[in-house]
Amino acid sequence: MPVYSVSRRRAIALLALSSILLITLDLQGNSVVHGLRNIFSTIFEPVQSSTRVITRPLENAWRGMTHYGELETENERLQDQLDQQEGAFIAALATVRDAQELLALNGIDNLADISSVTAQVVGGTPSNYSQTIEINQGSDRGLRVGMPVVNAAGLVGRITWVDNNRSLVLLSNDSLYAIPVQVVNQPDMVPATTTTTTTTPTTTTTSTSTTSTSTTTLAPVAPLVTAVVDPNAPTTTPAISTATSTTIDFSGVDFGALAPTTTGVIVTIAPGTTAGGPTTTINLDDLPVAETGIFRGRGIDNAPVVEFIDQNSRFGEVQVGALVITSGGSQSLAPRGIVVGRVIKIVQRTGTSGAVLEVRLTAKLTALNFVRVLLYQPVATGTP
Amino acid sequence: MIDFVNRPLVRLLLVGIPALALQTTFFAEVKIFGVVLQIMLALSIAAGLAGGSENGALAGFVFGLMFDLVVTSPLGLSALVFGAAGWGAGYLHSRAIENPKWLNAVALGLVSGLATFVMPVVANWIGVEGWLSSRLTKVIVVVSISNALLSFIAVPIARWSLAVRRNQRLAPPAEAFL
Repeated sequence: MPVYSVSRRRAIALLALSSILLITLDLQGNSVVHGLRNIFSTIFEPVQSSTRVITRPLENAWRGMTHYGELETENERLQDQLDQQEGAFIAALATVRDAQELLALNGIDNLADISSVTAQVVGGTPSNYSQTIEINQGSDRGLRVGMPVVNAAGLVGRITWVDNNRSLVLLSNDSLYAIPVQVVNQPDMVPATTTTTTTTPTTTTTSTSTTSTSTTTLAPVAPLVTAVVDPNAPTTTPAISTATSTTIDFSGVDFGALAPTTTGVIVTIAPGTTAGGPTTTINLDDLPVAETGIFRGRGIDNAPVVEFIDQNSRFGEVQVGALVITSGGSQSLAPRGIVVGRVIKIVQRTGTSGAVLEVRLTAKLTALNFVRVLLYQPVATGTP
Repeated sequence: MIDFVNRPLVRLLLVGIPALALQTTFFAEVKIFGVVLQIMLALSIAAGLAGGSENGALAGFVFGLMFDLVVTSPLGLSALVFGAAGWGAGYLHSRAIENPKWLNAVALGLVSGLATFVMPVVANWIGVEGWLSSRLTKVIVVVSISNALLSFIAVPIARWSLAVRRNQRLAPPAEAFL
């Protein structure tokens, strides 16, 4: 009998066509394919969990053999970093609190308002191409497909598949990952003290003011751009009532949205009362401007990029070191303000396609242990 | 019951599910030079070496489909590539009168390397970007060598899963009589 009879050829062709059909259906987002994945995962989960329990000691032994020296060095380095950052952390707490108050006053979504679930990473990617991790929380804790996953450093990825008590997270460097972001340019030198204090009894957020900027000191740029508000600085108006300095973190604030047409004027951010309490005015020219684009992963060994940058004359040239944060919005799967990374390279393209920004992620995706899932869904699909 | 278990498809599942569990747990964590070893691919190719091109294609399709169901890559992509790898290994097997273990190891290593290269190429054709990169060379080398070493275990397992009897195995391939 010939080895490649008609029936055998047909069988092999049938397998190939079945594969192509499945690929087509999956790429079109067919619900049958999604259902098939869910059914298989339900059947497979007990086997996988048992295998994980059995192989865990072997994994630990392997890690012990191969990563001991590396871990020891890293531990020492991290201990040094921890000591350095302890003081900065305390100062940052006050800053964050003030920033949150400001955001709340202006009705802007705040990351701290969003509930979250902490999860442990229990598995890595079984493939050399896709970048995923498995976490030990699922739909029982309110997780849904599309929810953003973060850690202390910034954006990690998004939930791409959910079971009752485990989920799959697509990492932000995977080529299938994309999300709208803002690029916040940071000038080489920023005004460290640009302050004016007035007693303007107003509840609006934008108004022209008769006050003048009193002192401006240039200082090297900080990791996060801050505007230091010093109520004790001399002004042209009386009744200065506050006594302490406050440092406010504006890295997550969309100043373009606050006053899109007020370039060069003074914006007054005031408490929502009409009492004669102190208010703070900030010169918009001195603050970083945000530019929007689409962040896209490009695999494990290629830096992710930001594309389709809006050209804003006020923004100017994008600079290396600019901060990339999620932009939020009614359609975005992540709220605004999650730190994604920093621009490390700008690739100019000809024509109208604009520049491509290569980004270094702030979250170290190769060494994830615990992550936080923000229980956030865009307005278009659910309640934030 | 025994008849049921002796069916090749049932045996493929009996082998495939524990292998997939190992792939997604142990081998997902234990990486060689940062590369994940691909035992599902090794078993697919081993099936081709053990049972011929048709069996190799079937085993590759089944193992690849199972792998696709647990990863985020498009469903059917691994099934297509693993199936083609199994078929190719079976074709190579049919060209040889004898199949000593070392030759199986070489064949498994070569076909693994080819399949590892073909996978991102096909992915690129269907619009999945980012898989073709400079790292691919390292992945191909590590997967080829590791799968060649795995052949000493994978081929006997594949023989059992395809219910290839000893007399069938030791007999010259059917192609020899054509």
